[in-house]
Amino acid sequence: MTNYILKRLGQGLLTVFLTVSTVFILIRMAPGDPAVSYAGPLASNEQLAAVREQFGLDKPVLEQYWIFLQQLFTGNLGQSYSFQAPAMQVVAERMPYTLTLATAAILLTAVVAIPLGVWMSRRPDTGKELGVNVLTIAGQSMPDFWTGIMLLTGFAVLIPIFPASGFATWGGLVLPTITIAILQIALISRMVRREMTTNLAAPFLTVARSRGVRSSALTWRYAMGNSAIPVFTALGTRFAAMLNGVVVVEVVFAWPGVGSLIVRALETRDYPLIQATVLLTALLAVGVQLLIDLAYPLLDPRVRLGKAATA
Amino acid sequence: MTVLPQGSEISRRRLLQFGAAAGFLLGTGSLAGCAGPTGLPGPSTLTLALNRSLVSLDNKLNQFDAAVTVQRAVRQGLTAIGPETKPVLVLAERFEMTGPTEWTVTLREGIRYSDNSPVQVEDVATALKMYQQVQGSFVAGFFPEFPDVVPVDDRTFRMVSKKPIPILDSLMSMILITPAAQNKPEELQEGVGTGPYVVTRFNRGAGTYSLERNKNYWGPAPQVDNVEVRFLPEESSRVIALRSGEVDVIDSITPDSREQLAGLPGVELQEASSLRLNQIFFNFRKPAGHPLADPRVRQALSMAIDGEALVRDVLVDSVTQAEGVTPSSLTGYHKTGEYVYDPEKAKATLEELGVKDLTLKIIWETGEFASDTSVMEALVEMFGKIGVKAELQQFEPGGNILAWRQGKQGDWDLLGNGYPSPTGLAITMLQGMYSGTPEKEATRDTYQGYVIPEVTAKIQAASAEADPARRTELLNDAQQAVWDTWPCAWAFVPKSVLAHRERVSGINLAPTNSYPLVDVRLEA
Amino acid sequence: MSLDTATPAPGGAGETVRQPSPSAVTKADIARAGATRRRNAAKWKLIVGTICTLLVIIPIILAQVLPLPDANFQDLGARRLPPLTDGHLFGTDQLGRDLLSRVLHGGQVSLTIGLLAVLVSGAIGIILGAAAGYYGGWVDTIVSRVLEAQMSLPLLMMLLLVVALFGPSIPVITFVIAIAQWPEVARLTRSMVLVEREKPYVSAARILGLHKIQILIQHIIPNVIKQATLVVLLLLAQAVLLESALSFLGAGPQRPFATWGRIISDGQDYITTSWWMVTLPGLVIVLMVVGVNLLGDGLRDRPRRKKKGA
Repeated sequence: MTNYILKRLGQGLLTVFLTVSTVFILIRMAPGDPAVSYAGPLASNEQLAAVREQFGLDKPVLEQYWIFLQQLFTGNLGQSYSFQAPAMQVVAERMPYTLTLATAAILLTAVVAIPLGVWMSRRPDTGKELGVNVLTIAGQSMPDFWTGIMLLTGFAVLIPIFPASGFATWGGLVLPTITIAILQIALISRMVRREMTTNLAAPFLTVARSRGVRSSALTWRYAMGNSAIPVFTALGTRFAAMLNGVVVVEVVFAWPGVGSLIVRALETRDYPLIQATVLLTALLAVGVQLLIDLAYPLLDPRVRLGKAATA
Repeated sequence: MTVLPQGSEISRRRLLQFGAAAGFLLGTGSLAGCAGPTGLPGPSTLTLALNRSLVSLDNKLNQFDAAVTVQRAVRQGLTAIGPETKPVLVLAERFEMTGPTEWTVTLREGIRYSDNSPVQVEDVATALKMYQQVQGSFVAGFFPEFPDVVPVDDRTFRMVSKKPIPILDSLMSMILITPAAQNKPEELQEGVGTGPYVVTRFNRGAGTYSLERNKNYWGPAPQVDNVEVRFLPEESSRVIALRSGEVDVIDSITPDSREQLAGLPGVELQEASSLRLNQIFFNFRKPAGHPLADPRVRQALSMAIDGEALVRDVLVDSVTQAEGVTPSSLTGYHKTGEYVYDPEKAKATLEELGVKDLTLKIIWETGEFASDTSVMEALVEMFGKIGVKAELQQFEPGGNILAWRQGKQGDWDLLGNGYPSPTGLAITMLQGMYSGTPEKEATRDTYQGYVIPEVTAKIQAASAEADPARRTELLNDAQQAVWDTWPCAWAFVPKSVLAHRERVSGINLAPTNSYPLVDVRLEA
Repeated sequence: MSLDTATPAPGGAGETVRQPSPSAVTKADIARAGATRRRNAAKWKLIVGTICTLLVIIPIILAQVLPLPDANFQDLGARRLPPLTDGHLFGTDQLGRDLLSRVLHGGQVSLTIGLLAVLVSGAIGIILGAAAGYYGGWVDTIVSRVLEAQMSLPLLMMLLLVVALFGPSIPVITFVIAIAQWPEVARLTRSMVLVEREKPYVSAARILGLHKIQILIQHIIPNVIKQATLVVLLLLAQAVLLESALSFLGAGPQRPFATWGRIISDGQDYITTSWWMVTLPGLVIVLMVVGVNLLGDGLRDRPRRKKKGA
């Protein structure tokens, strides 16, 4: 068990390291110059050179990478150019907002998608189910920025019941959460339906049914019990993905999270800020994945972690 | 799916565990890190939504239009650019040229910072030094040299330079005064100022600032108790936030938003001219034989542009066509000519000059000016009508447009670009754009390769002239010389437009696209 | 799925008691049976999916032939006309261009990008996935690690970075979407090849002395390609969505190429006064993506073996 955790932890950290290294190379290959964003369009070439020197961007890339590695181990990725504050601190100030949004969205998804999927699996291919099925297909077919703009127009402009942007009141959480959840509910409920249909048709269920177990128990305890792991994994993976920034939705709703931060950091070529965002979000995402893995034996006593990894 | 002989007991336990695990994960993993809402401002709070994030309340490095209003509410300079784009006194009660290379300044009596400490001559000397030391400073570029501060008495000092700086009173409006001990050669994040407001809370990451009335303010007390500054980068978000009353003021709004907001109940609009000139600028790095190297070709191309239609239909009257090489709001502006729309003549002239199969590449950066993409797409059509093909290359912010502009990446013909004159003076703009020299061109530091020695000489003569009447004459002459070289296919002066809720009054929008927060009032 | 594993009709434990005599199964029972419903639902999805997809794709293909104004023709005097005025079915945009024409021409760009992207991602995914599944060992290790690493990357951000890196052109955006999508195909192909490789026909081919690559290409891949292409079809829908998201964030192909995402993001500024500039292009995307998804669903659920008369 401990070995397994250590191994997974090692793998996770390796992934994070490779990710930040890839980003390090990519942003330095990309055209655009942080000094220009920093000093403005009127700066002379001499001034720009001075700024580059100040940021250490005049050094050879390998040396910059070496400095970056040292920073990585001390956990201080340097000053953000555009915020003129420690980059990690800027990201840390934004992270809670993304977490809030992601948590709200995943809770809403779980609460709606699981019962919906179960409902669908109990009457597959009937007229009603087909209707809901098409709705879920529509849910996964809408571009999220479009859904966002539509909700914004509908419920913040035409019928102004929710604030349009930012997070001044809890009401501000509603529209972005729904925007994200529409897609997620569609995906998860379809997955629950698939899993449940398979399980409801499995022989062990026929046996249980023949023993006279009640229908609701069949559905929830027997079939759902066996679908728990894949559904839980899917929810967890989705949650981890959201931590990487629900970029589009944050942009549409001016949500002060890391998604809109990264767009801005890219625009200003704020290298330390890009690095810090990627590092923190990747760490969080890997952490959540690990937690999901650790939760398996709780969900299913058959799972032994060390063996599950090699199976 | 594996078939498992399992009873209901195990299933029930598993279900319980499922719930427990999910709760455990969500509980520890995320809820702990979540944020609550930032809270709604009270009725006595004025909420501003800016389109740029206020990184600091200092301007040593950069100064965006959006920042000026808030900046000047916390920190002030000796002077400020007033409503007529002329310098007005703020912390100084006297700012006079007392010799060709010398200005004498007296500080206002009894002015104190928000921490109640007095403003001293030393603070001014330190501030100048700090601005000088910042790398890539936006302000330093406007100073031909930094003058020395020579104290005379407690409140009086002389500013001495090697060469005459006849515009020092305007230039000093950009230097914000902070206690010497707290000033550093970087943008100050906190610290005290002399302005009517003090910062109580800020979150740089989210770009929010909370201001409170400065109890030690030296002038008449501000009317509004609290000011909240928010950052909403998307124009549509800002418009919707204003409509719904979430925010009280949004500034620098685009023509489209203005159209959407005009006539809405509860919303009022204000506009002012601006210190900016937006141009469709020719590439002056073309080799001698190239059609664009000929001013007659440049003039002919400008005739293809239906400026009136652009102003009326695309920019919905939110701009005025330029009638010179600087905005008419600037001190020292001179009218030099007009852009005329005459496609037939354009075609004929091009034919006469033997220009055939001309293809133009237009480059610009997204957001350089309002409705930029629409203007560019309209230009393509207009050039098409005189038989000139045009292609567009749009750069996203952060991209390498600078390398392109300097001719290091690729060739282009026209550039969509804006140029401000934060001093409110025409000479600043002329110096920045048209006084290129071969030495500067060697490092590509000229404005799109514009190096015309006669023009440069005229601008330099005007900038060093101490006699006001003679200076005006030289300045007019220089502007006419620039116009005759047809540097722009088209140019226009945007208006600064601001929208506010009805309950807000006392906003006096100046051409600097800012307004004194101290005069703003709120109705309950 | 064969009949005996189909779900018994739900609604109570009583119904599940089966009668031994086959004669008790009436035609009505068959009509109500899960398999029949499933077949009907699949058929219905196929039909509706085809209709939705064609409704969008045919006008897009015919955009040049249809009697529409040029997508770039501007009439500054006829700006932001609402739908159904002056012969503009979808209205006009901020420069007086016909919105329908722009949506159709934009669709050509968006669809081309989507199609090319899924072709590339399908090819990469099938080749690498098949290789990983068939050869195992270090090939599998490398492919699986890369797959895993890519899953944990902040995808959209990486795409934005790469587009910024190489400039927003159609080939770059196509490539970027392909890179984002190949893991799904690769993973599926790999798992299917893992199963196929143990089947007797592969051993037979091996005993006959066929080369490994020949077995893989001639025997295994044809057996998995059908299911893999089904996934590729669903990826087409995703590719269109991804392209529009990139364009929305400013990383679309250079103007004047109007892609769906760009039309919507341009229209966003006019949302309170000109609803059609955002709503209609979005609906076109939704219609088309719903169509493709329904088609994919229908194809997947369709009974594998076609029985005569059944």
